[in-house]
Amino acid sequence: MNVYLLQLVNGIGLGMLYFVLAVGLSIIFGLLRLVNFSHGAFFLLGAYGCFQLVSSGVDFWWTLLLGPLLVGAFAWLVEAFLFRKVYHLPHELHILITVGLALVLQEAVIMYWGPLGNNVAPPDLLQGVVMIGDFVYPKYRLFVIGVGAVMAIALGLILEGTRLGAIVRAGSESAEMVSLLGLNIRRIFTMVFAGGAATAALAGVLAAPIRGVDPFMGVEALGIAFVAVVVGGMGSFAGALVGGLLVGIVQCMMSTIWPQGANLMIYVAMALVLLLRPNGLLGRA
Amino acid sequence: MNDNKLIHHRFTALAVVLVLALPLALASGSLATELLIYAMAAMACNLLLGYTGLMSFGQGIFFGLGSYASGLLLLHLKVSMGVALLGAIGIGALAAVLVGWFAIRQRGVYFVMLTLAFAQMFYFLAYSMVDITGGDNGLLDIARPNLQLFGLELFSTASPWRYYAFVGVVFIAVFVVMQGVAASKFGRTLLGIRDNEARASAVGYNVKSFKLLAFVISGAVTGLAGGLHAMLTGIAPLSSIEYHVSETILLMTVIGGTGNLFASVIGAAVYVVTADWLASVWPRWMMLLGLLLIAVTLYMQKGVWGLLERVALALRSGKGAEAPVAAAREKEQA
Repeated sequence: MNVYLLQLVNGIGLGMLYFVLAVGLSIIFGLLRLVNFSHGAFFLLGAYGCFQLVSSGVDFWWTLLLGPLLVGAFAWLVEAFLFRKVYHLPHELHILITVGLALVLQEAVIMYWGPLGNNVAPPDLLQGVVMIGDFVYPKYRLFVIGVGAVMAIALGLILEGTRLGAIVRAGSESAEMVSLLGLNIRRIFTMVFAGGAATAALAGVLAAPIRGVDPFMGVEALGIAFVAVVVGGMGSFAGALVGGLLVGIVQCMMSTIWPQGANLMIYVAMALVLLLRPNGLLGRA
Repeated sequence: MNDNKLIHHRFTALAVVLVLALPLALASGSLATELLIYAMAAMACNLLLGYTGLMSFGQGIFFGLGSYASGLLLLHLKVSMGVALLGAIGIGALAAVLVGWFAIRQRGVYFVMLTLAFAQMFYFLAYSMVDITGGDNGLLDIARPNLQLFGLELFSTASPWRYYAFVGVVFIAVFVVMQGVAASKFGRTLLGIRDNEARASAVGYNVKSFKLLAFVISGAVTGLAGGLHAMLTGIAPLSSIEYHVSETILLMTVIGGTGNLFASVIGAAVYVVTADWLASVWPRWMMLLGLLLIAVTLYMQKGVWGLLERVALALRSGKGAEAPVAAAREKEQA
């Protein structure tokens, strides 16, 4: 079978994971105008949450729910007690605060779980491969594609079809106007922030069985999420999907051609896209 | 103008005093050297953050490349100290042209994200170029050359304190040059761009090329710091180009305060000395650093320098100094 075709499908699987990772960052920025450098740390917490729960006997399926819920609840508190106080400050200071938070969380992870990596086994049901004709594909990755697709459709429906989605989209245009209309934009800020953190945690849970967990995966994830949203266009839901997929496909394709440089090529691809379209593929000028 | 010059000289005097005083305050020559090296890197970061309004998460690129460049030159070509450092400066400036050209086309948060993405890119570049950089292992056994002129040995840098003396001279030179840049017409234009980019552009300044030049100066100085660091430790590890280095340099700059260049020196000093002390007490001391960063951002936006200034003002007003001094200082800060 054609190895490139396999890597393309692999890339789509990884790309869906990156979409789940990046979409929260993008939506949080769109509404709150907050560049969340602690997004990678929420991903990290999700992954370690999965590791902890699975290794203490909790079923993997539950971690898919519990991981994002716990991290989302934590992010809710962080927003309510810290970020809410700083929205009026310049972007640079937001960034510094989220960098500080990421540092604290990463060190906390090392303190509790140690600096070395660990593996997480996928659930029994998803171990092994699927065979369609002579096409072989790991079940777990197929599952990740499925979760990503469900997330994409669900988020798309929420953003485009519900009242909450309409408020979020309106808030992205002008938060002040939305609050003048009598809506409690603060509550919605908190919800979106917690929701964004929860999606990052979900990506962390999904990634754990693929790549294992280690304390420095948060920084790596942050870099990839940035590339995905810069390539796709910041603040755009569809941009996160396109950017995530592009990053995943480039990474997987390159891992056949030049394994050592697979990660490097993600960033080269980003530079190329920016050369041609400075605002990203789907970004507005 | 005269007043400005006076403050200018006062800072230079402070820098000289610091270089002379460190041997009395610190027991380890390597630690004192490291402090000065990071002080240069933090000043370079401050030129971007404080003077131009650009927050760069990519300073580690230039630091790491500077380390690799001087390491490679020393290992393979056995060059002299000067050539090794020029190589570090050159590669830092070159990388800054490249990264800056991409990043400066974007503004605000996009710029910040791009610098981080480029930091990752250069990390993976160093990681994948195993033949050149040694990949995961880095470059080892980099010998520190003595200072020579036409084959004549002028000054041995073999012992830590001798190397410190050399780095001290370089540090003062860099400090004077950076002060000069900041006080020049170019530096004041940067301040104008920081405060109101649209206005600077409307008045007719080519904002992008000013930003790019600031970026290149910053990259060159950071590259120099990286080169000096490789000679200090004798290695150029992969970790010298990690995101963590960028983060550290930015942290030092923010902790010190961005009002003037000497604040960055204080930031680096506070960081290096406390890190050295805390790391031996508690391996997870970086957590405190994260908390400190949050606290500085929330309550102490002028950094440690701002704090010192407030203390000094309080002491002086106790002795009945007049308000104009404070006002003049505030102006200088802004």
